[in-house]
Amino acid sequence: MKRIVAQSRKELTQVRRDALVLFLALVLPQILLTLFGTALSLTVKDVPIVIQDLDQSAYSRAYADAWRQTLTFRVVDLGLDEQPSEALDRGVARAAIVIPHHFERDALRGVPADVQILVDATDANTANVMRGNAFGVSATFARSQRLVAPLPIDAEARLWYNPGRDSMRFVGPGAFAVTFALFPPLLAALALSREGEQKTVIQVYTSSISAREYLLGKTLAFWLVAVLQWAIGVGVLYFFFGLWFVGDPTPFLAGTVSYLFCCVAFGVMVGSAIPNQAAAIQAVQIVGFLMSFLLSGLIFPVANIPASIRWISYFVPARYYIELSRDAFIRGGGWPAVWHIPFVLAGIGLVFLLIAWKRMRRMQVSA
Amino acid sequence: MEADATNAGVGVRTLGGRLAEGRLVPLFLKELTQLGRNRRLVVMLVVPPTIQLLLFGFALNPEVTGLRLAVVDQSRTPESRQVVSAFASSGSFVIPAQFASAEQAGASISNGDADAALVIPFDFAERRVRGDTATVQLLLDATNANTAAIAGGYAARIVESLNRSLLAEVPRAARPIGLTTTVTLLYNPGLLNSWFITTGLIGTLLVLVGSLVASGSLVVEKETGTIEQLLMTPASATEIIVAKMAPLLLLLTADIVIALSVARIVFDVPVRGSLALFGVAGILCVLSGIGIGTFIATFTKSQQQAQLMGFFVNPPIALLSGVVTPIEAMPEWIRPFTLVNPVRHFATISRGVLLKGAGLDVLYPHLLALVAAAVLLVGISAWRFRKQFG
Amino acid sequence: MTQGDRPRESTAAPVERLRESAVSVRDLRKSYGTVEAVRGIDLDVSAGEIFGLIGPDGAGKTSTFQILAGVMAETSGDVQIFGRSPVEARPAVGYLSQAFSLYLDLSVAENIRYIGSLRRLGVSEIDERGDHYLEMFDMLRFRDRLAGRLSGGMKQKLALVCALIARPRLLLLDEPTTGVDPVSRREFWDALAELSGMGMTIVVATPYLDEAERCGRLALMHQGRLHDSGTPGEVRRRPRLKRIRVRTGNLEAAERILETASGVRDTQRFGDSLDVMVDETDGGEAVAREALAREGVDISDLRTEPPTLENAFVAVLRSLGGEIVVPPFPFDRTRSPVQSGKVAIGAYGVRKWFGSFQAVDDVTVEVRHGEVYGLLGANGAGKTTTIKMLCGLLGPTSGDIELAGERGSLRTAEVRSRIGYMSQKFSLYDDLTIAENLRFFAGVYGVPRGERDRRISWVLEASGLVGRESLMTSSLPGGWKQRVAFGASLMHAPSVLFLDEPTSGVDPLARRALWKMINAMADRGVAILVTTHYLEEAEQCNRLGFMAAGAIVAEGSPTQMKARMGGRLLEVQVGDARRATLALREAFGSQRVSQFGDRVHVHVDTPVEIAGARIRGLLAEHAIDVARLDDIGFSLEDVFIDVVNRARDSGGRETA
Repeated sequence: MKRIVAQSRKELTQVRRDALVLFLALVLPQILLTLFGTALSLTVKDVPIVIQDLDQSAYSRAYADAWRQTLTFRVVDLGLDEQPSEALDRGVARAAIVIPHHFERDALRGVPADVQILVDATDANTANVMRGNAFGVSATFARSQRLVAPLPIDAEARLWYNPGRDSMRFVGPGAFAVTFALFPPLLAALALSREGEQKTVIQVYTSSISAREYLLGKTLAFWLVAVLQWAIGVGVLYFFFGLWFVGDPTPFLAGTVSYLFCCVAFGVMVGSAIPNQAAAIQAVQIVGFLMSFLLSGLIFPVANIPASIRWISYFVPARYYIELSRDAFIRGGGWPAVWHIPFVLAGIGLVFLLIAWKRMRRMQVSA
Repeated sequence: MEADATNAGVGVRTLGGRLAEGRLVPLFLKELTQLGRNRRLVVMLVVPPTIQLLLFGFALNPEVTGLRLAVVDQSRTPESRQVVSAFASSGSFVIPAQFASAEQAGASISNGDADAALVIPFDFAERRVRGDTATVQLLLDATNANTAAIAGGYAARIVESLNRSLLAEVPRAARPIGLTTTVTLLYNPGLLNSWFITTGLIGTLLVLVGSLVASGSLVVEKETGTIEQLLMTPASATEIIVAKMAPLLLLLTADIVIALSVARIVFDVPVRGSLALFGVAGILCVLSGIGIGTFIATFTKSQQQAQLMGFFVNPPIALLSGVVTPIEAMPEWIRPFTLVNPVRHFATISRGVLLKGAGLDVLYPHLLALVAAAVLLVGISAWRFRKQFG
Repeated sequence: MTQGDRPRESTAAPVERLRESAVSVRDLRKSYGTVEAVRGIDLDVSAGEIFGLIGPDGAGKTSTFQILAGVMAETSGDVQIFGRSPVEARPAVGYLSQAFSLYLDLSVAENIRYIGSLRRLGVSEIDERGDHYLEMFDMLRFRDRLAGRLSGGMKQKLALVCALIARPRLLLLDEPTTGVDPVSRREFWDALAELSGMGMTIVVATPYLDEAERCGRLALMHQGRLHDSGTPGEVRRRPRLKRIRVRTGNLEAAERILETASGVRDTQRFGDSLDVMVDETDGGEAVAREALAREGVDISDLRTEPPTLENAFVAVLRSLGGEIVVPPFPFDRTRSPVQSGKVAIGAYGVRKWFGSFQAVDDVTVEVRHGEVYGLLGANGAGKTTTIKMLCGLLGPTSGDIELAGERGSLRTAEVRSRIGYMSQKFSLYDDLTIAENLRFFAGVYGVPRGERDRRISWVLEASGLVGRESLMTSSLPGGWKQRVAFGASLMHAPSVLFLDEPTSGVDPLARRALWKMINAMADRGVAILVTTHYLEEAEQCNRLGFMAAGAIVAEGSPTQMKARMGGRLLEVQVGDARRATLALREAFGSQRVSQFGDRVHVHVDTPVEIAGARIRGLLAEHAIDVARLDDIGFSLEDVFIDVVNRARDSGGRETA
């Protein structure tokens, strides 16, 4: 135990000395967290659209106004000789609304007038959302004009947890988890591979410290650094994203302990296997970060991932932590919803450490 | 694409003529031999881009299916069952369980067992019979705002079509029809997100791989000290940097082909416009990447430092590009930054060419922006290199 | 003071321990894949000995050390450290690996504390011992300095402190002084002598033959095998050679004549003299005199001197094969050799500031065509900065530089095409084959196409690599790379040549081949500026400049430099060198007395007879037998250390 502490103390001193590492440890994660949070939103606003009004009646203009009033869309002018589809081709608009001739006359007569909406479906998700909105705009308009008798069935949607559909609230906790999938393992991997690269590890081999103590010492040190990062990150979540714990924070805290351990252990494993700093950075970036970014439900739900690769997500720690932090910051389900997560994360972390230990346990130069 | 490579080659040769061809050729050959021999580099050029394209293409799937709907049918009438079955048969929702009360359904959402709940009130059938509008409640877990929006849209469409079929039974005069809405999806009618992601991601990969390889090949010379040896030869700093960049450009052009092939073969992305335009945009992207990499290399002493520096540059390039998420979803204040991002312009060109079949007449502003970015980045980095070593 | 006395308790270890075997190795082998790095060595080191392992890069020294230290498993063979396996013996062993095994971002005290705590020591114990050793190595005032900010020598001493902190009984030192300047090297070895005196067993690898002289016993390691072990004296005498030093006005002619004279086994040219090796039984001096007289070469001085370790090792290495014959350079016949005597490199009042730090202070140097100029100095003395300014890689803050007849624009392609440069680090591309490297440099220097093949084959021949040109450069041992790099910098027949530490990691035979090429170039009128850490090697320069703290503090030919030293250097061979050293230090001061294995060097100011009598008297008082007492004359290293020390005292600048 004494030697574990000695090892940790040395690592922490080194972190404190290196300005670049310190910056990587404390500042960059927060910058990335805010960047993720702002850039990864899917909730579009002010999507440019064009309206071609072939009817030019009071009724058609009122319909066009209904589009103008939405927050999602922003109507831009259509060029004089321009066809709506050209505006889409040029990329100046994402959707075009074509109001047919005799729109008003038909509507007053009770003949269905068909509004054509062209949607640029390049971005499939946005197109899907726009399509849903289009139906909504038309339905609202029809109702507001009192041209219709009551509908047989009306669905009243209520949004829970995030009624403003503020996507920062959704992305924030996810970005939070992914940030910690990158930086703590990066620092840990650098610290280990550097000893291999600069051969200082030979000095460690000659001493009587065991592989277990050496690895635990490193893990402890970078776990502490990660906790500090985490604490600052929570501050960023509060001030920048306006998120705070809803309900019982204890499952989140317990899960955090395991998650940070798990992430650091991943870095320790990478660093002990690759005695080359540049390669270790690549490994953390590609394996650790990319998996966490793509297979954790950060952007789209895990359930959407095709089953052929979805199984991988079970081994991605961020997947669990995202679930946990969304619960802690938005849903507030507490222990019943997430009780298993701290254990799963700790288990994955232990596997990482075990692999590192298998490689190091002889404490000899492998050749 | 081959034509573009030759174009680049011609450019190098005219420059070479000015800079005494004799020296540029050995420099160029040396770089080419080194690059060709570097197995790790070849792997790096092929494997990570391919894997990333596949992963992004497959994993980032916004299609919402199988939403778990907790149903509370307090009416328990044929009318209410009609609603439930409309939801169940839509394909978008699955109904794992029925609950007796809205509270219980709510609890199952908060435990994460359900994504939405449908509550049909006691008086549903009565109101239907009376001819009043009967209201059902849909509770959506909006934790994921996007999924909630899409789920809401699905529910609206289910109810709408249910209404339409119910109204078909009443006399025409009483039909409350004002307008119908027909939505036509252009360019990507199947709503395949992989088409959106891969077409943009190619640009991100070209810039990132380009900068990684360029900084690597330059920093190695600094690290091992060979750069000094090189600077003591009669070759000028400009010749050295040109000879460094040109083979990289050639090599990374292969990446454009690989990436496009993956998109085409695996994801069936269409090619509706001019491949030449796509190729030029790709080459400009690669050049921007090489410029960024060279720039980073002039600041760093080791590969590891160069890679860490990459953490300051790569995330903004990757994220503020509209590749993964639409720019319209970013806050107002950050959108102007995307304009200086070459990847953003590449993505627009790539999507325009491949998916929309747009031509230069439409895409020229983005091509000009890419040219400006490439010239600026290569120029600044070459200038820094010359300043450092000239 | 009580601290200082502590380790002596262990010194008083029973005498029988001296007989105890510390290291016992039988038929040790180590393979990496198909490469056999260690090919069956036997080695015995007794407790309390300093045992030297001498050999070029790639000889298998590091593999051997790693096995002895228990950090790598052997392929086969038996290794016992104090009767135990190396892994079990780890707690009793201190190992200093070749790379600086320090954490540069930790302070001196933190490094010591970390290593100490890994070794299960208590904090107070670590601090106490650490301070003791720091004081012993004169480093106590740097306790809180970051290790990265120490000079090379200081770093190595700190690494030694770390290795010593657990009080090991065996100390394994793998090239502890590579890249360390002579002053620090001497201090380091003084410290080793002291530790050995306390009963510690030390096995040390070194490429410096002057350091090998300070070992009790040594062995030459070559291609994974051990050759020729014994005390330095035994090793020196074994080839049965005599060394004759010839001074003459025309060294070039003298060498040409004596190389082929009968009975001459070898010649080696120095800056202002020529060494001729003849068989012990031969007439020696007479043969040389006759041969030179026959050709009409005047001799200003000719005397027989004892052979050096280098002579011995060259003889051994030759017997193992691997002699490299340097063919004459295939010069472009149309280009006349540059006129000797004209200034090729000139620096006048050159200064260089990096921010507020002055790296080079008022340096004035002139190197003429046909001259070999050696720039010597400790790490951080400003050598590399100076050479970079002289060859135009770095602009001076003030002062004028002239290069190949140009002033001002040194960076034109035209000037650079007349310059050859070989930098401190390996300047070849590891991922190109040898031939590709050479073709590249030939091309980029604009060697005429018709000439290229001829010059490339010359480089291959001169570096002994004919037929192996398609080998990957990375697969070559360091010494060979250096030779190819050197050849590559000559291919375009430069008229000015800069060589920044060209011989680090090169074995003696290759080093001699390299110097043969350097001399041949100088004979053609090429101006050569070379920096080196090997002071024995500096003897081969025509003129030397010693740098300290950014300034040239002394300049002259090797002989002139030695003549500047006041006093004489006496070598005393004694029965108990350790006690003799202590006794003589008390009388002459510790700066002037150094232990060299079983001999002690004393720097005296009084005439040899008086000083000799005083030494004999002093040693007689301590009942120490004097076997021999010789006036050996100063080595360049002695001069260097003296000059640097004096510059340090007068400048008041700290080199740490």
